[in-house]
Parts: sequence; C-alpha cells; structure tokens
Amino acid sequence: MYKYDAIDQTLIDERVTQFRDQVERRLNGTLAEEEFRPLRLQNGLYHQRYAYLLRVAIPYGLLSAKQLRTLALIAEKYDRGYGHFTTRQNIQYNWVNLEETPDILAELAKVEMHAIQTSGNCIRNITSDAFAGVAADEYVDPRPVCELLRQWSTLHPEFAHLPRKFKFAINGAKEDRTILLCHDVGIELKKDATGQLLANLYAGGGMGRTPILGSLIKQDLPWHLLPSYLTALLRVYNRFGRRDNLYKARIKILVKALGPEEFARQVEGEWAHIANGDDNFTQTEWDRVAKHFTKPAYKTLHSITTEQLIASTPQADQVAFARWHERNVRAHQVPGYASVILSLKHHGIAPGDATTAQMHAIANLADQFSFGELRVTHEQNLVLADVEQTQLFALWEEAKKQKIALPNIGLLTDIIACPGGDFCSLANAKSLPIAKAIQERFDDLDYLHDLGDISLNISGCINSCGHHHVGNIGVLGVDKDGEEWYQITLGGEQGNDAAIGKVIGPSFYADEIPNVMTSIINTYVGGRSEDESFIETYRRLGVTPFKEAAYKNARAKAAKQDASGALSS
Amino acid sequence: MTASISSQFNPNIIHFPKDGEPFLAANEWQVWNGERDEGGIPDLEHGAHKVLVPFHWWITHHKNADIIERANKGEIGVWFAADEDILKHADLIEVGKKVWPIVAAHFPIFRDGRSFSTAALLRDRLDWRSEIRAIGDVLIDQLLQGARVGFDSFELRPDQNLELGLNQFNLFTVTTQNSWRSKRSLLNTENA
Repeated sequence: MYKYDAIDQTLIDERVTQFRDQVERRLNGTLAEEEFRPLRLQNGLYHQRYAYLLRVAIPYGLLSAKQLRTLALIAEKYDRGYGHFTTRQNIQYNWVNLEETPDILAELAKVEMHAIQTSGNCIRNITSDAFAGVAADEYVDPRPVCELLRQWSTLHPEFAHLPRKFKFAINGAKEDRTILLCHDVGIELKKDATGQLLANLYAGGGMGRTPILGSLIKQDLPWHLLPSYLTALLRVYNRFGRRDNLYKARIKILVKALGPEEFARQVEGEWAHIANGDDNFTQTEWDRVAKHFTKPAYKTLHSITTEQLIASTPQADQVAFARWHERNVRAHQVPGYASVILSLKHHGIAPGDATTAQMHAIANLADQFSFGELRVTHEQNLVLADVEQTQLFALWEEAKKQKIALPNIGLLTDIIACPGGDFCSLANAKSLPIAKAIQERFDDLDYLHDLGDISLNISGCINSCGHHHVGNIGVLGVDKDGEEWYQITLGGEQGNDAAIGKVIGPSFYADEIPNVMTSIINTYVGGRSEDESFIETYRRLGVTPFKEAAYKNARAKAAKQDASGALSS
Repeated sequence: MTASISSQFNPNIIHFPKDGEPFLAANEWQVWNGERDEGGIPDLEHGAHKVLVPFHWWITHHKNADIIERANKGEIGVWFAADEDILKHADLIEVGKKVWPIVAAHFPIFRDGRSFSTAALLRDRLDWRSEIRAIGDVLIDQLLQGARVGFDSFELRPDQNLELGLNQFNLFTVTTQNSWRSKRSLLNTENA
C-alpha cells in the first residue's frame, strides 16, 4: 500500500498545525461558529446532537494493521470505545471533544492518516473497489489512480468552496463495487488493445433528494490527462453550479439542467485550453505512486476447490464453515488465495460499528493472515484481501470469537445504515433501531441463507448516507409533524445494473417496519421461481404484489390513527 | 460632496506579490458598488482618487469622456462580481490590460468559491499580469487558497486580524498540485 513520502507527511503535519490554530481561535472567540463551520467540516468535524463527530478518511478503503490499531486507540482514548465504518470508506467517532480534535489529528498523522475533506463543499475522500488489486474480475488496479487523485485533490485551492460536496468513485473491475453511477464523478478504468490505461467519466450521479444515475460524458481519456480534464469539469461546476438553493447545488442538478451533452460540451470547451498544460500526470508521478501497489509476497500455491476445502475441516463444523465460505469468501487473482469479508453486521449491533477490542483483534488477524493490510467496504464491512485458502478455517475460528464471522454478507441482515437520528443532527428519524428490529425479526440464519441476495439499505434522512436509493429494499426516515415515519422503496440496485428504487406508497410507522419487511419477503418467497434472487423476482412481478402485501395490514393501522386524530399523513 | 461608496473599507491591505513576501500596505483603492450612478462615480472619501468600479458598469460607461480621462490617469480599476462570466468579455478585458492598473474579484460570502475560478482564469486564460485583489467577505482562512489561485492582494473584511492574516501564508511549505503561484512540490530526488 502507498507509503507517504516527505511531502505527504509534511502536508498533513502542517494541516494539523493549521487546524489547531483554527480550533484555538474558535475557542477564544475570535472565530465565529458560522465561519468556523466550513473549516471544521473540511477536516471532517461535524457538530451533532450530543457531541462533535469526527470523520476520518480511509482513502479508497485501504488500511494497514498499524493504522487500525491507531483507530482503535483513538476510539478508546477520545471516544467511547468504538468507531463506525461509513458507506464511503471513512470511519466516524461519535463522541469527540472539539478541544481534543487537533490531538486526534496529530495521532492520525503519525500513521499517515487524516480527516482532510471528509466533509464540506469540496472534493471528498475518493472511494474505490474494496477488492482492488486482488479481485478476479479486475481489468486495472485502480489504486495508483486513486492515490494520484487523492494527492491532486488534497487542499486544491480552486475547488475549496464548491457549490456543494463532490464525490469521486473509481472502478477498474468488470463488476462495479463502487456505486460508480451514484457519484458526482465516476471514473471507470480500463486498458485498450495496446495496453494504454484509459478512463471513462460519468458525471452528475448522486443520491439525496434527487437520485440520478450519472451520464457518460467522456470516453477513453488517457489516464495522465485526468487532472486537466477534472479541472475543466470542476471549474464549470464551480462557476455555474447553483448556489441559491442548497438542495439544487449538486453537480447532478447542473448536468440535468444543461443536459449531459451540453455539460460535456462546456467541459470540453474549457478543457481545450488546458489539456496540454503541465497539470497532467507524468510517468514519473505514476512510477512514484504505482511502485507502492505491487503484489505482496504471495507463495506459489495450488488452488483448492471449495469441496476440498470443506472436506478438510472437522465434520462438526462443515455446515457452518461452508455457509461462511459461500457468503463471506471471494475469489482471488492468485491461485491458493482468497479474500475474506469480516461482517460488521452482527445482529443487534449498529451496522458498521467496531469496538476497540474488535479493531485490535482485526489488526492482529490482518497481520496473521493477510500481509498486515485490510480494506473497508462501502457496505460497512472489512476485508482481509490476501488470505491463503488453507488458512481460511483458522481465520474463521478466530473471527467467530470476535463476532465478525456472521455469514450474512449480501443477505437481508447485511444492512447498510447511516447513524441516523440517534446521533446525526440532520436526520429526520432513527436508522439503528430499525436495523436492529429487522435483524431481530430475521434472526434465523437458515432462512436468511435461503432468501439469498437481498440488499436492505436504511437512511435516516434524504441525504441518503445509508444509500437507500440503491437498496433492493430501501428504508428512508421521514419526519411528519414531529413523528418519525419510514418510506419504503423497492427495486434499487448497485453494481453493473445500478438502479434507483421506487417509492411504494405512504410511509409506515416505526413499529410496522418488521411486519412490512415480512410481507415483502413473503411475497418474494411466494412468487419466486426456482433460483431467482429477490431483485429478479421483483423485476418480473413488478411492484404491485409487494405493495399490496406491505399495505395489507398497515393500512388498517393508519386508518385507525387517522380516525383518532392523533396523526395526519 | 463625499459619499461612502462601499459598505466596507479596510484602510490596510495585504499584498503578496507572486515572487515576494506578503506585507501590509495602505489601501489606495476604494470599491464602488455601482449604486447612485446618475452622476457617475461619486466622490471618494479622504480625498482618495482610485476606485474599483463594477465591471458591468464599466461596460456601459467606459466611453464617457470623464471616465476615459480618469482611467488615463490610472485611477480606475474594475471588480468582477462572483457571477460574472469573464470569459464572455475576454476582448474587453484584453483592452482593459492597458487601462486598469488593477482588477478585483468579489466574495459575496466567504464560502462562495466562484472568484477562485475567476482569478485562475484571469491568470491562466486571459494572461492578466497585474494585480488581482480579493474583495468582499474575505477572511484570513481564505488567504492561502486565494494566493494560490492568482490573487496577489487582499482587502480583508475590516474585523479580520491582519497580523494573523500575514501568518497564514507560511502554514504550508508543500503542495500536491500545481497552482498559479507554485508547482507541485517534488522531492529532491525527482528534480534530478
């Protein structure tokens, strides 16, 4: 993985000094809160319901065991003994004191980490495929481009105060594991017949109030021209993106208003002046960065079939191990190796949360089984990318002790959820109790396994941090007259067939949600033909049977409440 | 008659020449917001002469004899509003190079970054080589970004601490992207 050079290290050290001074000025009153706000946001610091929240970047999801130990230490020393892995390859601490944030950032800087641009109206932490460099379906390892663009975007002066936040995702595999089309800019990397690295750029995607999939605006851009092209693109957005209305300020609104063709034309017009400038990446730059993303010291091993592997484990464990292997282990580029997803979705625990003890244990597992590195997925799980197949059983045994071996990856209880109203001051409704109630309702692993792939995503408000728009089942918290209600969407999907889910109708009260889920799931089970996944059945049957089932019992309740006058819709 | 011609005036500015050190200087340029223009540019306070007029006002008045006369004396510069599309007026700005000693770009609120792109375009595209001043809601925490994109003078909001402002430019000794002021930092080994 990338190692900071003296320039990177100096930059983040100096950034800590800068922020220390800004915090000091805030505390002594010379910097007003209104004016401190964008400064602290650009360092990942939010002011939440009860405390400050610090969001730390895990650039493109890559993390060393050493870094994870520091994250564990920060959780212990400055927070309440846990951290929350987010849907954008960051980690958040929910209970931070403003006075201590410069010290936390200084601790992070010691292990080449920072919170720069994890919030605010600027280029945010760049996300990528959690299986980059190891995925069997990879065309191009996206990490050198991710790192080059991380550096390019860090403290970029012209784009420090954009109309709104700006998110990049970069993918280099056949399967999209980045929700590429739901980003302000999605960069798809590939190689042409001569081996030249090219990029396709999709702009104007996003979730939030106006979910839109990005449009292809540039094809076959040679990789080294990315800085000039992105400068042109961001310049058009910076100058002409709306600033009069917070909810219409994302680039997707500009792209939609102009039309993707006209937007692309304006970017080309701007780019024509700078395409040949000296802002572009050089081969020297590539070499400097790419040399860090070489393969680890893999052994020469033979591939083992799943059947052989399971047969080699103790008889009593075979069923459970096979299930874990099926759900939580992924194919690897190198024979004899596999990637393992550690589930942070233990039933009853907030999705994505890990305690200090778990983080320490996971760091040890990374050292023991996976060259001391790990990755964070946008589904809020952790990945050990380079595990010898023969070590999988030993790893599973250790992971079970830490409650990170639940075989529910991709299943109904592998819920993506934002922190919601329990913490977030933006939220209209709580997310975590909903996630918990659903996990409790569907606590039977045999049944979950039988249901197969279903994504369930929960957001506590329309900002969509829980990515509800792209869940097969999406749950959105909405506020109605001070009450927390939940809107259901169906048919969303991430990956190559990315789709935005459709709202099925009026919102439900919180305690109805487990029953509504049961109705939706029962409709699938009743309607599926043999091997169909939930989304396939949904697409074949359409929304009607799901909707009818969901409202069958809920309607009566809504009517009763309306009659009592206690609630209005 | 003397009139206050702008809602704010800072008697001191920060100058930061491209190849020099930042320093404080007396502010010679008053910003006129373009209001009460029936009689042309109002008289300036304190007997000052130099005025930054709104660019859109310049467009309609620059052929007036009195404006030409003052401009010839080097007493008129223009300022660009944050929503001004300067690229549509490249010709006028080209002519302005011979007339205006200075241009300015306005920040209606500190968190509005449009004028960063305006300054970058003035430098890169329109090859404006004289002074570009940041005016409006300019706070010390924007100085570094402003200095990098192309500004070389700053009229800060009057409540800002100019000494603290001067210190901002020394906060970072490295950068990871090119800008008007400097190229991306390279390790010594890479220069070889």
